[in-house]
Amino acid sequence: MPKDRLTEVLERYEAVIGLEIHTEITASNTKMFCGCPVAFGGEPNTRVCPVCLGLPGALPVPNEAAIEWTVLAGLATECDIALWSQFHRKQYFYPDMPKDYQISQYDLPFCSGGFVDVEVDGDGVGERLDLGGALPFVGPEAVAEDGGYRTRIGITRIHLEEDTGKMVHVGGSEGRIAGATHSLVDFNRAGTPLMELVTEPDIRTPEEARRFAQKLRAIWLALGVSDCNMEEGSMRVDANVSVRLRGSAELGVKSEVKNMNSFKSLHDAIAYEIVRHAEVLDSGGVVVQETRHWDAGAKRTSGLRSKEEAHDYRYFPEPDMVPFTFDPARVAELADRLPELPDARRDRYMADYGLPKRDASLLADDRETGCYFEEAVGLVGDTDARQIANWMLGDLAALLNAEGIAIGQARVTAAMLAELVGLVEDGTISGKQAKEVFAEAARTGDAPGAIVEDRGMRQVSDAGAIEAVVQGVLDAHPDEVATYRGGKTGLLGFFVGQVMREMRGQGNPAVVNEVVRRLLG
Amino acid sequence: MSAIDLSVLTARQVRDGVASGTFSAREVADAAYARIEAVDDDVHAFLELSQDLAYEAADRVDAMRAAGDELPPLAGVPAGIKDNMNLVGTHTTCSSRMLEGYESVYDCTAVRRLIDAGALPIGKCNMDEFAFGSSTENSAFGPTRNPWDLERVPGGSSGGSAACVAAGMTSISLGSDTGGSIRQPGALTGTVALKPTYGRVSRYGVVAFGSSLDQIGPFGKSVDDVALALEAIAGADPMDATSAPEPVGRYTQALDLGAEGLRVGIVRDMLDLEGCAAEVRASVDMAAETFAALGAEVGEVDLPATRHGLAAYYIIGPAEASSNLARFDGIRYGHRVPDAADVIDLYTRSRAEGFGPESIRRIMLGTYALSAGYYDAYYGQAQKARTRIIEDFRAAFERFDVLLTPTTPGVAFHFGEKSDPYTMYLNDVYTIPVNLAGNCAVSVPSGLCSGSGMPIGLQIIADHFAEETLLRAAAAFEEATAFEPVPPLARIPK
Ligand SMILES: [Zn+2]
Repeated sequence: MPKDRLTEVLERYEAVIGLEIHTEITASNTKMFCGCPVAFGGEPNTRVCPVCLGLPGALPVPNEAAIEWTVLAGLATECDIALWSQFHRKQYFYPDMPKDYQISQYDLPFCSGGFVDVEVDGDGVGERLDLGGALPFVGPEAVAEDGGYRTRIGITRIHLEEDTGKMVHVGGSEGRIAGATHSLVDFNRAGTPLMELVTEPDIRTPEEARRFAQKLRAIWLALGVSDCNMEEGSMRVDANVSVRLRGSAELGVKSEVKNMNSFKSLHDAIAYEIVRHAEVLDSGGVVVQETRHWDAGAKRTSGLRSKEEAHDYRYFPEPDMVPFTFDPARVAELADRLPELPDARRDRYMADYGLPKRDASLLADDRETGCYFEEAVGLVGDTDARQIANWMLGDLAALLNAEGIAIGQARVTAAMLAELVGLVEDGTISGKQAKEVFAEAARTGDAPGAIVEDRGMRQVSDAGAIEAVVQGVLDAHPDEVATYRGGKTGLLGFFVGQVMREMRGQGNPAVVNEVVRRLLG
Repeated sequence: MSAIDLSVLTARQVRDGVASGTFSAREVADAAYARIEAVDDDVHAFLELSQDLAYEAADRVDAMRAAGDELPPLAGVPAGIKDNMNLVGTHTTCSSRMLEGYESVYDCTAVRRLIDAGALPIGKCNMDEFAFGSSTENSAFGPTRNPWDLERVPGGSSGGSAACVAAGMTSISLGSDTGGSIRQPGALTGTVALKPTYGRVSRYGVVAFGSSLDQIGPFGKSVDDVALALEAIAGADPMDATSAPEPVGRYTQALDLGAEGLRVGIVRDMLDLEGCAAEVRASVDMAAETFAALGAEVGEVDLPATRHGLAAYYIIGPAEASSNLARFDGIRYGHRVPDAADVIDLYTRSRAEGFGPESIRRIMLGTYALSAGYYDAYYGQAQKARTRIIEDFRAAFERFDVLLTPTTPGVAFHFGEKSDPYTMYLNDVYTIPVNLAGNCAVSVPSGLCSGSGMPIGLQIIADHFAEETLLRAAAAFEEATAFEPVPPLARIPK
């Protein structure tokens, strides 16, 4: 969908967006109510037991660690932690749910009333049309900042529940239920601890939704609560979208969009829904409250075929478990366990290393990336932090992207990158040589020092040695020398290039430059 | 081989006989199966016999004895297991078509503990379907008959467990009690029947009916026998989050302390309930006199909130049951129609065919009570009544150590006599409040009805985790009455 279509719609309509984010607590080694291991994939129905299969007579025993993780998640998002809480049964029939009820939470979630501040900059700022023309804008909801703005998204609650199994529909198209002849169920995922976070309807643009989800992912990763893999479904973001005419206080009818398995999909699906709602309203129609499915290939949402009914989940307190009490001292103890969160880390990188905000954010948002950065800086010293950052956000990022791997899997370790930067800083190799060494290290995993040694790549900085080469080049090109001396100083690069070629790239560029200039002059 | 008459021998006598070498555990198993062969066609206490498991257990005991090892407390004691408890090597059907042929894939903790204590698992006992009922008439596989009179019900829902002990097919058995399902059949068959405190015995592996009410407990011919069994099965279980960490008492050692100084309260307002047979009412007063004669301080107490017990129970029980029985959907196990058009069709027809009428009634009651718009009026109110009942008991146990009520308003009734569900539900009016409050209670035989010759049960109730006091009082009463309820087996045609 063309971006200007969204802009055109947002000029007349205000979008009201809330997110529901399910995150599997992959940090927990075991499922929520039994001892089965938590993992992704595997042979179907191999990580199951009487409890997570809902066999007759089996009972749930709560996973205390998962509850602590949820409390930590609440503390990291400024939530109040309930000192008295309990599980409820949410009842509905579905084949992926072994007990035909889900142990979840109802009116007593572990965490409630939190918030996350989200910063929007770059292109996404343009979606916020109430701010767009008037930046810098300082209002109750959004604060102008660095060419972008910051807005606070309220968190209604975070509760804990058990994940369902997975259905595989056979015989239909693309595994969809329509046209399927039968369905298979894999209960490996059933019972995995699942946090559900619900935001207030504070989000106004697709970009804010994306930024919120990214920020939340960064926080969860900093905590280590989950691997937050959207592709594998360990983090799943659903969006409630409605629109209303600008100036109207009344909320429009919402649709719930599911099946966005990337941040881009989240953005695009919400943008699509906003435009769709606007078009329905513009043509005099009524938006239907329904659940819609995002098709990333077709770039559109479609209503789920099954008739939506208002479910009566018949919640009631889970009688197989006693209620939970937390004393404030235990909550304080958990608060002490909170690691440094991405915003604080970013601010520290800006203050300690003088990194620009954008670079600092990129390094701080991912815990592994931040650890890599800090390890490398620790080895070379604070003054070279910017060099480390440049390498990480340049060549290393490109490499990870190309290979599709995480920073922890990179062949160039933090120690190797630190060594490489050190070799540049002490003049052993040039920046250009460093790029070659990096590429070689990335390919072989060899240490930069060893590569430099093996290839004889040591940079020549000795002015005497360089002078001899320069003189030879000048002698070989008398015409060019004359032209240069006649005023065409643009030829300087030609001579430098010739010298570097003679020296097989090992001449210290600064020294070569200086000598060429001097001998020509 | 010595004659082993399990209708006479207590569990302790069986265990002592095995320990002393009077007979072997194998011979005990032989005797149990011979007795079953002789009488169970008439009684129908068992749905399935587990000879392999029983003889395996017997051989273990005999091997231990041969090796000179100390024998466990229930060595060689034959036991019946209610068919809602999982035991690998047996089916667990809950007397329902829904689970016909369902093979247990793990062991119920209480059953495992009983076997680990040396008991011989003789077979799985008949019950009302999913424990819904008070007569065992709701079994999908035919009713159990009362060994005292084959024309009468043995009570329920643990009717098979009660009947197999009463008829001398096993020494002890395990039942489950949600609203009286151990104590009521205990009273109707003249057996000692214990519902422990909620949390005293793990519920892991017993198919749930009302999760906040269910408790596994033993039947026996004597208070000593149920105390022995309780010692074996009680205690915290990491597989049940509602099992209690309180240490397990030395129940058998509390039994000879007598009743002197015990504070015994007759629950007067419950006794005066309309519908309680005069002879039953009189039996409680007589029991109180017995306690007084033994040196107990006898008084009276009212539990006014318990008059809401039946109503509260028939909200909370079905509400939990409707949820617990949702899993029987034909997807993973159990009855499934072969020709379902889609998943909704599969659910609805499989469940409609698999469940009997009483199960369907309770599921519908519970579903309705939890529905949006009705929750507060039904489930919410029932929980309030439950809280008041708990408070009534708490106050009563500040004044008394044990309370006395009848176990049931009358003796065993005839098949089909209580065809109206509400009349049937009334049979549990004395036992239900105890489940709502979570206390422990035991039914002990207190005499025979002069007209019918059927046994009458006295319910003794004690505070949470006061099983030692409870069983001490029961043992004192048992000894004082010197009543040995052996059913007139002559009535059972050979
Ligand atoms: Zn499991």
